Amino acid sequence: MTGRRHRRDAAPTPGGEGRFEGYDVMAQSPFWDPVTAAVVRGRMAQERALAFFTSEEADICRALLDLVLANHGAPRVPVLEMVDQRLFEGQTDGWRYEDMPEDGEAWRRTLRFLDQDAREAFGSGFASCTGDQQARIVQGVQDSDAWHGLPGRHVWSLWTRYACAAFYAHPWTWNEIGFGGPAYPRGYKVLHPGWREPWEVAERGAADPLPWSHRVEKARRAHELRLGGRA
Amino acid sequence: MRRTDERAIRARNESAWLVPTGQERTNWALRGRMRRYDPGEEVDVAVVGCGAGGGTLTQRLARAGFRVVAFDAGPWWDPDRDWVSDEAGSHKLYWTEPRVISGKDPVALGSNNSGRGVGGSMVHFAGYVPRFHPSDFQTLTRDGVGADWPISYEDLKPYYEHIEEELPAAGEPWPWGDPHDYPHSAHPLGPNGEIFRRGARALGLRTAVGPVAIPNGRFGHRNHCIYRGFCLQGCKVNAKASPLITHVPDAVAHGAEIRPDSMVTQVVVERGRATGVRYVHAGREHFQRARVVAVAGYSIETPRLLLLSATPEFPDGLCNDFDQVGRYVMVQGAPQTAGRFSEEVRMYKAPPPEVSCEEFYETDPSKDYRRGFAIQTVSPLPITYSEHVTAQGHWGEVLREYMRDYVHWAVLGSLCEFLPRAENRVTLAEETDARGMPVANFSYSQGENDTKLEQAAQSVMEDILRAAGAEEVITIKRYAHLVGGCRMAADERSGVVDRNLRTFAVPNLYVTDGSVLPTQGSANPALTIMALAARCADHLKATARSGVVGEPASAR
Ligand SMILES: Cc1cc2nc3c(=O)[nH]c(=O)nc-3n(C[C@H](O)[C@H](O)[C@H](O)COP(=O)(O)OP(=O)(O)OC[C@H]3O[C@@H](n4cnc5c(N)ncnc54)[C@H](O)[C@@H]3O)c2cc1C
Ligand code: SF4
Repeated sequence: MTGRRHRRDAAPTPGGEGRFEGYDVMAQSPFWDPVTAAVVRGRMAQERALAFFTSEEADICRALLDLVLANHGAPRVPVLEMVDQRLFEGQTDGWRYEDMPEDGEAWRRTLRFLDQDAREAFGSGFASCTGDQQARIVQGVQDSDAWHGLPGRHVWSLWTRYACAAFYAHPWTWNEIGFGGPAYPRGYKVLHPGWREPWEVAERGAADPLPWSHRVEKARRAHELRLGGRA
Repeated sequence: MRRTDERAIRARNESAWLVPTGQERTNWALRGRMRRYDPGEEVDVAVVGCGAGGGTLTQRLARAGFRVVAFDAGPWWDPDRDWVSDEAGSHKLYWTEPRVISGKDPVALGSNNSGRGVGGSMVHFAGYVPRFHPSDFQTLTRDGVGADWPISYEDLKPYYEHIEEELPAAGEPWPWGDPHDYPHSAHPLGPNGEIFRRGARALGLRTAVGPVAIPNGRFGHRNHCIYRGFCLQGCKVNAKASPLITHVPDAVAHGAEIRPDSMVTQVVVERGRATGVRYVHAGREHFQRARVVAVAGYSIETPRLLLLSATPEFPDGLCNDFDQVGRYVMVQGAPQTAGRFSEEVRMYKAPPPEVSCEEFYETDPSKDYRRGFAIQTVSPLPITYSEHVTAQGHWGEVLREYMRDYVHWAVLGSLCEFLPRAENRVTLAEETDARGMPVANFSYSQGENDTKLEQAAQSVMEDILRAAGAEEVITIKRYAHLVGGCRMAADERSGVVDRNLRTFAVPNLYVTDGSVLPTQGSANPALTIMALAARCADHLKATARSGVVGEPASAR
């Protein structure tokens, strides 16, 4: 079970997924220190013009990021805009692999390669391929040792690091996963497994509504279906 | 619990009483009163880097009457304004200037390894402060691997005790290595810690709560921990220790100058002696004269600075006549294993450092590897945890499903003693930074013993989590705690500094940070780095008293 739709206005989660019904971490923001609250609220200001990517790169990148994060339904976390901003500011992780270019250049190049692969395999640009076609190309990169002269796993590391760092910085994803978010100056008082703070929300139904193994199996099957029945 | 004497601690280091009470975390009046030295004035000691090693050295020397200027490339933090209770917003705490990583097993730097700004990497360190074991100082003699230190555990023990009191360290009585108590009692357990204990108990493994550099009870004006779980993002509360609050306030009160936002670009050596440091502040270059220079910029920047400081006299870099600078850089193998529990865990509550197990620390003759590993709780926040999930190869719907299950997972980490290897080293890359200086290239490859240790650690963590009731376990292989690169040795052919951290090549140049470690044990390194710096300060004080050539005249 990947979750029922939430009432979006009350407690948004990406694509309306998640099991912590009604849990809205932003409702706690009055209890955060002003500096943290400003940083998190700023992150939620969605209207950002692209500063790093060209519009062509942006289309490819959005398709890639949304695919890697299964960021499909509304409301959609503006991951592309967040990654674009980060690259524009040159906010790297403080290192690069010797066999990869600097992050900004690596992004541009790998997006170009994705587009190239898509044209060769499916006759159209990456952004206009179907989700299944895109998934097959992307899985190919993860599986490859060398991809257009770059090590596949280092490309993969670049993409997933930037994608996840943006996505899981967004309060809607905290709503989805039940994370408490900033906790200063209030802190936590209830520290036992299985117990919650008064403002934390239980998962819908029982503590663990559907066995984990079923849920993850279902997600795996959906993923494999996308890849064309790949085992 | 160890009995401590508050008066004795204050007589050594009053920092905890110099942080403010009330609504602010920074003592602005103290900063405003700070003594300032003219760059043209020859100070006694210029310290490069104000982290674990540099911050401690600065405090000890200032208190002894030395005139000290401590430089840091990063800012002098104010926890209230500069730090946030948020993962992504803490990016500025890390050293993110360009660096290149290479080798068979390249090691990620930045957030995972090094900090920038007054307090150094301890600003965002987890907070574990275990001692090294006596065996760590003699691994070559005892186990035929690694290297022997030119000092013994006994040489460091008094400094361990002092620093533990000043941080202060909280934890249960420690049964491993040299058994000892802690000045503060153990903190209550969070959910991740309870699960670790439950699993270890089921397997008959001893664990101990702590040791963490977070006071439990009254300590000066430091606030009590609020168990909010953001230790790796900088403690806004002033509960978790870092030199910013444990040593710098006392240093400033005793006449040290902290010069933040000042990147040292060269240690200047003329006719075989250090004469000071060149540094860049606000885009302009300056030169600070000093009688003694101590470099404490972390295991990447310290070797880089020595290599960048080449002169006709030292064409291959300072102190590098025997090709030792930048070699034997080590990282601990730090695989983390997550276990899935049907109950909610919510591991983000309480400090990530909670419980330790050092049952596997020493060499076990029945195994086909030497040395060992430690196991500790780690409690990654969502972004860091997502790396754990993507490391399994998951993406798309599967990644999301694992992440949606975040509250059900508990995570343990281990620290494996990977052995020093000469070829694991920092060199200068062709790429240059914004100032036109070559950046560091850190090349790293694991050895065979290392890989075996890592496997063993992973299977123990899996066993513990399963014994605690986990239905699924997943592991990410990673590294932690870079040390070495200018190691301490018996002579100049096998290291860069001597037993007192003085470089073999330049008599008034010292290295006082994690770079000097010849081996790394399976303990987190910060306490040992601080203890070594405090010991070096005693050496400098003694040589100053005896008037040894080239030592600070003003402190004589
Ligand atoms: C995420 C994380 C968790 C950790 N957890 C633990 C833990 O639980 N326990 C533990 O013991 N250790 C931990 N560590 C490691 C520990 O923080 C470091 O080993 C320790 O701080 C290193 O001390 P140091 O003196 O060598 O360098 P640092 O403390 O990093 O200090 C170096 C300082 O030098 C400055 N600098 C560098 N170059 C220059 C220059 N050229 N000019 C001016 N200034 C310069 C830097 O800005 C920095 O402030 C952790 C580290 C990280 C990253
Ligand atoms: S958990 Fe405690 S020590 Fe850690 S950051 Fe929060 S208040 Fe500070």
